[in-house]
Amino acid sequence: MPMRLVLLALWGALLLMPAGASYAHSVSVEHTLETVIALAATYDSGEPMAGAQVTVYAPNDPTTAWHTGTCDEMGRYRFAPDPALPGTWTIQVRQAGHGKTIYVEVGSSTTPATSAALVQVGSAAPYTLLQLIVMGGTVVWGCIGTALFLRGGAADAYS
Amino acid sequence: MHIPDGILPLAVCGAGYATTATLTWYSLRQIQRRPDPHAMVPRAALLTAVFFVASWIHIPLPPISVHLILNGLLGVILGWYAMPAILVGLFFQAVMFQHGGITTLGVNATLMGLPALLAYGLFQLRFVLHLTGRFATGAVAFVAGALGLGLAVLLFYGVLVATIPANLDVATEQAALTLIALAHIPVVIIEGILTTLVVLFLLRVKPELLTDNAPVGATALLSEQG
Repeated sequence: MPMRLVLLALWGALLLMPAGASYAHSVSVEHTLETVIALAATYDSGEPMAGAQVTVYAPNDPTTAWHTGTCDEMGRYRFAPDPALPGTWTIQVRQAGHGKTIYVEVGSSTTPATSAALVQVGSAAPYTLLQLIVMGGTVVWGCIGTALFLRGGAADAYS
Repeated sequence: MHIPDGILPLAVCGAGYATTATLTWYSLRQIQRRPDPHAMVPRAALLTAVFFVASWIHIPLPPISVHLILNGLLGVILGWYAMPAILVGLFFQAVMFQHGGITTLGVNATLMGLPALLAYGLFQLRFVLHLTGRFATGAVAFVAGALGLGLAVLLFYGVLVATIPANLDVATEQAALTLIALAHIPVVIIEGILTTLVVLFLLRVKPELLTDNAPVGATALLSEQG
């Protein structure tokens, strides 16, 4: 008799157990697609800006930091801007007084995207080596030309 | 060691332009008082080119790399002409290669130009202290060349530490600035040696290049010494 009572009590407890508990080991995965801005910060010598500090300003308040963070050992940093704040996001990467501010346009479109930005500090990244040589050469030749012009006493004619 | 745009507050950038304008005005005034103000312009133009190119020469000092400045050398060789030469060089570096910045041009010119003028003053002290022998001139040139960059690094460090924004991790930024300042110690020595080598070379081949930028009183003192 007592054995029958115990079994009955167990059966009743099983029936009264909340339904959710029966899913204790299940997994719920939800996903959203977000726009991510990925930075890669390097010095002009090519070294990564490891540990550089990143400050992000949202389009609606360009004076107060919206988010701050630190680059990894390879000078990389990723963050997801708030999709509710479309416009121009200002991102500053700074280390030891060196740094650069870049501006990334985040549209109001619902289409998510990954925006990759190369932050190269103290360099003329958009130029090729040949362009750099020509540009530098013009300045150097300008200086040499000035020296040659004034060396021959031409300055006296214009003074 | 060029401070780029967006790093310093607007007030500091404005103060930098004010000090640079004052230093440049005073330098040009001193140049104008010389018997022939044009005489040293070719030399100033050539050393402007040297200053412009020097920042491309990187010296790897892990974990960072630094580059030559040569402001002390310019001060020693050019005297008062060093200030406009540095200003022009920095302008082209900022405009063409984004090395430095336009808003920070005044600050950068003061950071490098003021020590250059002090290096010039120190180098001219050799006349007062009667250090005009070959060895003594080389030693004074080393100190002047090293002082030019050393003082510039100290000013760079001081300006940036004093203006770290509140939203940054101040301790981290200060540690990074200390590291970059210490990394310049070998460059300070290299620039001192370079200045010595140039001065000793000029002393051998064309010594008048080292005396024609001297103040009138110092030149008279030199001629008295024979």
